[in-house]
Amino acid sequence: MDCYEIREQLYAYLDGETTVWRRRAVARHLEGCPPCLEGYTLKVTVRRVVAQRCQDPLPADLESRISALLAAEAAD
Amino acid sequence: MADQARFEEMTREYMPALYSHALRLTRNPADAEDLVQETYLRAYRAFPNYQEAGALRAWLFRIATNAYITMYRAKQRRPDERDLDGMEEWALHGAIGGLEAAAAARTAEAEAIDAMPDEDVKRALEDLPDVFRQAVLLRDVEGFSYQEIADITEVPIGTVMSRLHRGRRKLEEALSDLAVERGLVPTKEPAGA
Repeated sequence: MDCYEIREQLYAYLDGETTVWRRRAVARHLEGCPPCLEGYTLKVTVRRVVAQRCQDPLPADLESRISALLAAEAAD
Repeated sequence: MADQARFEEMTREYMPALYSHALRLTRNPADAEDLVQETYLRAYRAFPNYQEAGALRAWLFRIATNAYITMYRAKQRRPDERDLDGMEEWALHGAIGGLEAAAAARTAEAEAIDAMPDEDVKRALEDLPDVFRQAVLLRDVEGFSYQEIADITEVPIGTVMSRLHRGRRKLEEALSDLAVERGLVPTKEPAGA
């Protein structure tokens, strides 16, 4: 696979949603191709940042409001 | 009606994730709370028929996705999934002669993005078109597989992959641009050149 094909595969590689053969081919390519490796690094970074920065605290009373809502529903 | 205590006990642990997801989808806390309440109400009503053992989290996210579509359909702009096909940006970055410069710039970009405040990251995500944002959140925040995302959003797996691909690429561009805008990395081309 050339750089273009590798770059098309990077997200599936990152997600572990690829065949064993393709996985090996991508890994081998990344080892020997700094530009593709840098591209991969950016993708890994963005994914990690998204995963880490998108946790918001639950509003304090939401759980009890939902509980009350369900109780009202059950009483209907 | 389903046993309320049992339902709550089984679903409680997913509430923070559903709330964060709802907040990214609706972009404001009041709507996010409404969406989570609606999700739990719908799930509670459907719970007597729930039979997908072990897939409770995916089931709740599917209900949340449907509730979001129903509640916000009027506000939704249909994203154009055909736009910006392919890998033009990659081709640009990797243009012959610019490989090393592109690699160095991207390393700096990755570092700058890593150091960005939460609000910048959230805003960049919230600016993504709806279906792209959903796919990215379900995969990168919630860790669902492509197949699970296909089930949750009720589209073929190929569509999931395409949405993920485009959503992530837009997000990378947005965050890279923001890093440049903030002066966190040198611009890729000299100004006025």
